[in-house]
Amino acid sequence: MDSGSAIVMPGERITSIEEVAKEKRVILGPGLRRLDDTVVASKAGPLRHKEPNTFWIDNYQRRYVPARGDLVLGIIKGKAGDLYRVDIGSADIASIPYLAFEAATKKNRPDLNPGDIIYARVLNASADIEPELVCVNSNGKRGKLGLLADGFFFKCTLNLGRLLLRENCPALAALTRELAYEIAIGVNGRIWVKANSLRETMALSNAILTLEQAGYTEIDKICDSLGDVLQA
Amino acid sequence: MNIPGKTEKVANDKLREMQCEFNPLSRCDGSVMYCQGATVVISAVLGPIEVKTQNLSIDGSYLECNYRPKAGLPQVKERIREAAVRDVLELALLSEAYPRSKMSLQIQELEDRGSIDACALNSACLAMLIGGLPLKCSFAAVHCIINDQGEYVLDPDQRETVHQRASFTFAFDSLEGNLLLVQTKGSFKIAEFNDVESLCRSASAEIFRFYRNNIANYHCRRPEGQKTSEDNMET
Repeated sequence: MDSGSAIVMPGERITSIEEVAKEKRVILGPGLRRLDDTVVASKAGPLRHKEPNTFWIDNYQRRYVPARGDLVLGIIKGKAGDLYRVDIGSADIASIPYLAFEAATKKNRPDLNPGDIIYARVLNASADIEPELVCVNSNGKRGKLGLLADGFFFKCTLNLGRLLLRENCPALAALTRELAYEIAIGVNGRIWVKANSLRETMALSNAILTLEQAGYTEIDKICDSLGDVLQA
Repeated sequence: MNIPGKTEKVANDKLREMQCEFNPLSRCDGSVMYCQGATVVISAVLGPIEVKTQNLSIDGSYLECNYRPKAGLPQVKERIREAAVRDVLELALLSEAYPRSKMSLQIQELEDRGSIDACALNSACLAMLIGGLPLKCSFAAVHCIINDQGEYVLDPDQRETVHQRASFTFAFDSLEGNLLLVQTKGSFKIAEFNDVESLCRSASAEIFRFYRNNIANYHCRRPEGQKTSEDNMET
């Protein structure tokens, strides 16, 4: 991935993408936009490319912008009619209907209170309407979504969330070798963890936060010493 | 970050040394401490965030800009500076990317030792870049004076501005070097104005290089690797 090292600045025209676009369709991710027949950057950072045709600009952003299908952690803020208002860290407060929980009916409402944490999927995300969440999949089953009881909740950068969520992340495997735990990671930069004891939970959250400054390649090295962080 | 306590005299046609530190503040979406010589400011951005209904716009985001002086409350002078920064940002910000939202910029002056207008603008640009806010282009501002001997002094220190005949602040965009802001004070000839403008324009290239190098350093702390789908946790 040699294109990874090129830093682009806002307003820069990216001809390498235009070249590819002549032959096939390309997908422009965050930080790139089409201006007439040119591709222009709108953020600063390294240009990334994923085969075959996806491009985006990597940026250590802290503000979450909802996208359909994202898994997020949200905090219940209150009730409004037949909706719960949920804070997912985006510009607008998200909403989740009572009926978007497993086995919920008009009579049998889920019991959620302000301050509760839920793991949900973004159903609708558009610039013009507030995001809508669901806690069931298309078969009406909750899977791993829903209320997260007990445990410990903390915020991190969006990057750390994505880093942990990628396939076979070595960090989580390294932690599994040390102790048993439950974890829920949102791409909105929020993490919930639960281990057998309070002490273990705190150690776990500290261990995860040490990864914050790490790169993908450094992670392997750090993972070996994560056990030490847990002991501390 | 080491802030130079005493600054050496820099050549008249050179910018003072620039330094910056990214994300010194933890609770905002992007922040930068930026210093140019002994002039230091901190800028912080938030956005896109929820907007008050009275400021809501359906075809673009609302831009809020606050400038805080080193001590006391903002007065007329600070309001003018704030308005200048907002005017430039409105030109550079890609506001249609996030309609019905607000972009908020806070600038805190820490030390004013000359060229504070240019310094505030440059720090605002860096904060926007680091916060990941959508921009049409980046921009750089340069301050220059004509002293009483008729010499052009680029990016002067405060003690050099005591005997100034005219002072200029220019802001340029990164694409075609278009002028985004002109502030002038004092008496000068059109020919002098043109000289100063071309002097500032060539200095702005150095600032753009500074932006790029610092952004590159910031990203290289974490070496690149292949990123996979963000959404692979099975439910």
